[in-house]
Amino acid sequence: MNVAAIWALIQKDVRLYFANRLFALVTALGLVAYVTIYFLLPATVDETVRIGMVIPSLPPALADALADDAVQISQFASADELRAAVAAGTVTIGFAFPPDLYDQIRQGARPAVELFLAPEVTPDLVSVYEAAGRELSFSLIGQELPVTISEVVLGPDLAGAQIAPRQRMLPLFAVLVLMVECLGLASLIVAEVEQGTIRALLVTPLTMRGLFLAKSLFGSLFAFVQAVVLMAVTGGLAQAAFLNLTALLIGSVLMTGVAFLIAALGRDLMSVMGWGMLALLIMALPTFTVLIPGLAADWVRLIPTHYLVDTIYRSLNFGAGWSEVGGNLAPLAGSALLLLAMGMVILQRRFA
Amino acid sequence: MPDPAIVAEDLTYRYGDLLAVDHISFTVERGEILGFLGPNGAGKSTTVKMLTGQLRPVSGRAVLLGIDVARYPKRVQSRIGICFEQPNLYEELSGVDNLRLFARLFNVSDLDVDALLRRVGLDGRGRDLVGRYSKGMKQRLMIARALVNRPDILFLDEPTEGLDPASAEAIRRVILEEQQRGATVFLTTHDMYEADRLCHRVAFINSGKIVALDTPHNLKQQYGKRMVRAELVGPDGALRTREIILDRPETPAEIADLLAREQVVTLHSEEATLEDIFIRLTGRGLA
Repeated sequence: MNVAAIWALIQKDVRLYFANRLFALVTALGLVAYVTIYFLLPATVDETVRIGMVIPSLPPALADALADDAVQISQFASADELRAAVAAGTVTIGFAFPPDLYDQIRQGARPAVELFLAPEVTPDLVSVYEAAGRELSFSLIGQELPVTISEVVLGPDLAGAQIAPRQRMLPLFAVLVLMVECLGLASLIVAEVEQGTIRALLVTPLTMRGLFLAKSLFGSLFAFVQAVVLMAVTGGLAQAAFLNLTALLIGSVLMTGVAFLIAALGRDLMSVMGWGMLALLIMALPTFTVLIPGLAADWVRLIPTHYLVDTIYRSLNFGAGWSEVGGNLAPLAGSALLLLAMGMVILQRRFA
Repeated sequence: MPDPAIVAEDLTYRYGDLLAVDHISFTVERGEILGFLGPNGAGKSTTVKMLTGQLRPVSGRAVLLGIDVARYPKRVQSRIGICFEQPNLYEELSGVDNLRLFARLFNVSDLDVDALLRRVGLDGRGRDLVGRYSKGMKQRLMIARALVNRPDILFLDEPTEGLDPASAEAIRRVILEEQQRGATVFLTTHDMYEADRLCHRVAFINSGKIVALDTPHNLKQQYGKRMVRAELVGPDGALRTREIILDRPETPAEIADLLAREQVVTLHSEEATLEDIFIRLTGRGLA
């Protein structure tokens, strides 16, 4: 194989890529945008629960029990003041006990306790706060439940160390960087097919194998370099650097295979964009399960980027190493090689 | 005697049910310029693709420079140059960069790009982006690219189609220079004037078959008619045309009678064109 020819083709592709102003701009501005957004997002998570209360008197023992760095209790003079505070976002939830709470209890009545909730409280937490209100009520009348509850955290204790929004976004940025380069490569290939330059290349000593090698090297290395820049600038290589670099490299090869498939299906820039958006949506799905943990589902494992996202996310946020997430690299590599092979086989027919 | 540059034996190709090339056979000697004439859809480009290893024949074989094309396409492609009908240059690169890229693909390390550009009349424009070239300039660059590896066989597909006379003449000059260098030229064209002027032999192809293959002179002798064409003033004062076939016993008398009886405005001798011969052989024109 003529190494000089392969190198010449890679150089040519780099020039053609940046000759396309759209992709040149998207590549440069995209990186800047992702890094900027990363640093604009909060680096920490505010775990404090702000509770407002309207209560005739808060027994000292109960006040001691509720004292916690993560819980702030504010007392209000009336239910209207508490309601206003919840609406303004000063407190997240409010319990308004009636002023004659203890009298009603002594008389055998059932006092009504109002629970005010801020709009952002999720439905699954409403019942939790209702239960807390009941337990608080029992505590107030001196009738605590005769049980002792001990907490056992299964896995890393993230109390005080919740994963910051920017860290949750990082895998999404990495996938986006790889996908943009994937679309760029696909567009480049489609343009070469339409202009007939592929045919001109293939009536020289350059073989089909050499052509695909050049395209694969260009696509993979170009995407890899950008992903590395992103991760390096955002501190994504501070932990398990070699593991993450390996995952990113394999991910870059995966996206090159996707690019070949898109180029095989696309006829022009518009169709490449269309197919590319579909591919982006599918490939980015695993990143949403990191952003919103409740979205996690087993079928996401069928998407190859799940293994890339899982590796980055867990190594950076949970200290996972080769033993914990190294196994992800096998399905990731297998998917990459499969897509690359499929892409080459289908695309070759367009070249012929 | 060296082997022919091109040997086509029973070449056949189908596009689905359409038989595009129908068992054609011919040879092209080294240093010869062969013209391949035929209308659109006749099978010219398909034949060229089979000869250059872009398509694998359904049956038959092509041997170029003693090498079986189907078995060793890359060996053949390293020794031929191809100028496609439609420009397929990298328009975002300069002329120089286009040529240097292909020089590297052919492993040509001593290419004098500027000299090559000068040869095709593009000196001073090599650093411009190809996207800014005119059609004629692009075609010249296509020729230059086909010459990068100093090919033993040059395949030119409609090299002067749609070009201004100056560009067309420049390209014809390069073709002749290459032939004088020893290259074999396989020229497909609609232009019968070009074929007549450049080609040692021409082949007529129609509906996938070669209907004639000989020198232009022999084809005209065999199939053409020499004639005299006269423009006369008719009884109503309008111009009319009369043709008298030459080389017949009654020709002298007819000409004498014409001159004696008619008011002759112009008198020209003509020989059949290759297109006339093609029409006679196939019933259709070259366009």
